[in-house]
Amino acid sequence: MESNHYDVVVVGAGLSGLTAAGVAACQGLRVALVATGPGSFVLGSGYLKTQEILAAGPADELSEAIAFFCEMAQAAGCPFEGQFSSSRHLPTILGDFQSVTFAPRPLWNAEPRNDTSTAIVGIRELSYFDENFMAERLSDQARLLGSSCTYSARQISLARSCGAPTTTLRIAKRFDYDAGFRAELIEALRPAAAGFVRVLVPGMLGLCSREQQIAQFESELGCTVCELPTLPPSIPGLRLFHLLSRHLSKLGVELLQGFPVSKLQIQDGVCMELEVASPGHPMVLRGECAVLATGQHSSTLLGVDCNGHDEQMHPLTSSGSVMAGNLFVAGTALPGSSGSSGDVMEILTGHRAGSFAAATRGHYAAR
Amino acid sequence: MRQDDFAIDNCLKCSVCNAACPVFGVNAQYPGPKQLGPELERLRLEGISADTEWLEYCLGCHRCDMACPHGVGVSEMIAHAKAKHHKPLVRGLRDWWFARPGLLGKLTTILPAISNFALSMKLARFFMSKVMRITPLRTFPAYTKPNLRTPPARTSEDRARLLFFPGCFIRYNRPDLGRKVIELLERNGFATEVAATECCGVPAAANGDAAQAHAMARANVKSLVAGVDAGMRVVTACSSCGYMLKTGFGGLLKDDRELAPAVQKIAASTLDVGELLIAQSDAGMLNTDFQQANMRLAYHAPCHQKSQGIGRPWFHLLRQIPGITIEDLDAGCCGMSGTYGFKQEKYKISVAIGQELFDSINASQPQMVATECATCQMQIEHGTDFKAIHPVEIMLQAYNGKII
Repeated sequence: MESNHYDVVVVGAGLSGLTAAGVAACQGLRVALVATGPGSFVLGSGYLKTQEILAAGPADELSEAIAFFCEMAQAAGCPFEGQFSSSRHLPTILGDFQSVTFAPRPLWNAEPRNDTSTAIVGIRELSYFDENFMAERLSDQARLLGSSCTYSARQISLARSCGAPTTTLRIAKRFDYDAGFRAELIEALRPAAAGFVRVLVPGMLGLCSREQQIAQFESELGCTVCELPTLPPSIPGLRLFHLLSRHLSKLGVELLQGFPVSKLQIQDGVCMELEVASPGHPMVLRGECAVLATGQHSSTLLGVDCNGHDEQMHPLTSSGSVMAGNLFVAGTALPGSSGSSGDVMEILTGHRAGSFAAATRGHYAAR
Repeated sequence: MRQDDFAIDNCLKCSVCNAACPVFGVNAQYPGPKQLGPELERLRLEGISADTEWLEYCLGCHRCDMACPHGVGVSEMIAHAKAKHHKPLVRGLRDWWFARPGLLGKLTTILPAISNFALSMKLARFFMSKVMRITPLRTFPAYTKPNLRTPPARTSEDRARLLFFPGCFIRYNRPDLGRKVIELLERNGFATEVAATECCGVPAAANGDAAQAHAMARANVKSLVAGVDAGMRVVTACSSCGYMLKTGFGGLLKDDRELAPAVQKIAASTLDVGELLIAQSDAGMLNTDFQQANMRLAYHAPCHQKSQGIGRPWFHLLRQIPGITIEDLDAGCCGMSGTYGFKQEKYKISVAIGQELFDSINASQPQMVATECATCQMQIEHGTDFKAIHPVEIMLQAYNGKII
């Protein structure tokens, strides 16, 4: 097959684009993922909330989509925990609890457990995380939830290795590549963790660290380490993006990052080509089909003014007709797809669009 | 990178650029692209100079631009500010030379043997380290007689003609690699002419010498335009030269009404050798007369290859050679960034950035590393015990059956 010819071209690397690319790649298809940067989920906590969407309906399809996503995240080294039948209260940066159905493992373990004492560890050089505020608020909030979990504030200093002031991003990057720093961090945390069953730190345990690396860190410290989502940049969000991207690349997905798709060529109801705005001259991609997971604002720039979609996720024109038989849409590019279940909606529609796109294999052979 | 996009309001301060910045990761004091780019740009637009030495520490790898979800031309802002940055005398003098690899090449290759001897002398290196602040821990690439010429035309055949932009490294250090490029293209049905060009201007821009970059861009555009007007395509075998031809001339000469149309034409006609050959392959026209090979390669994609937005042509080309297995290391920036890694005060950062790549090469244990960029090759050979060569050489060896 030609190097620029793909079975599926996915545009956008948010949760919906990554999921759609994963679905197609798992079916052995040749997939390209074009994106200018990560989707906005990297700014978020990584919590998946399903209550709102479950109330709206498609339980079977939703559980299939979430199961697929969790499998993909597990294979990427960033496992999610949770089940539909129950949800957990997980802490937020504002010091209250949110009801969450699924979350990455280091975040999942931060729920208020009865009769446990937890240390909230702040870092002196990290000004925007206040462990005293967090401990006081979370203890109060846990009490309101009827939990006997207590939170105590502890502080460590990383001035010697990190300088001051520092950010969770800098700490996470050091955590990734510097084994000496991880050892220092363990030594600094050890006295703070003494007497507690777990410690809560701001999200900072690496941008690319896999499950095993975090588990090893915990075993060396001898205590469960949980992360709290912080203000953007969200380390757990970036970690999910990096690990999923690498995983897709291992599955054979061609990641074309850095330049936007500037043009879709649609002819006689078929999307023939996509142009990527590379410097000098555009890079032309040909796909049997394309999935637009561009987010809320970019799809209109491509001339796809999405007026809704049919059951197979084809975007519709203002007159209600299918724009192109081999063009699919997912994520917030769909109208009216916001709300507190946004991330779950992304996964659901990405899974759906990816499945329909994969199913068109052979219908739109290269012309 | 996106020359017309200085819309700093697009910057939402999400820090995704900082997460992608190689320097930010290894230096706790480096402010990062978010601050050096859009944040300080607001002050600079108000006429406040906001000058800082950290501007010099930007690699120019464009990873921030590539990572930005909102299309902000972060590195372009830093490059503009870098050009206005004031350096102390000694660093200024050193960087004046580093900005002129063409001039350096012309002088050293008058008597290459003497130059190479002098550059390898311990005393000379000590002097360069103490006075010029050039690290003694690296070796300079050897200079050789600049004898890359256009091969005699084969009038009997009607072949597509290409203009080859060799760049300083091929012209003054590795003219043999230039001849290999020409031979590889010839085996694929192209007649290649060596363009009479200067340095592409990337080293000048990277060293904050806007006037020199501008002069190089003008000279090159004037030299290339006739060939491009005649329908010739320009090929490069150096990712930084290719990047400059596709984007940089436009940025430097955007206010030059006379040259702007030529700049656009050149950008549209420029191809990396790999990009040209993968297009040939897609059209079923690649010469696949490869001998059986038996080799395990690791591939490192240079930053300026990535920032051309052409995918991974060489990775896919080399995979077509029977008996070659190739792994894409995908281990980030090598940290060399042309002359950056030679600078004494930046050497430590340069090597620290490369560590991830070195580790991944050591884990992969390939017979050889393939990468298009000459300074990435230097850095890989500096940081590991593995040899790094241009994919052109591997492909040519595969035709000739000389591969291990």
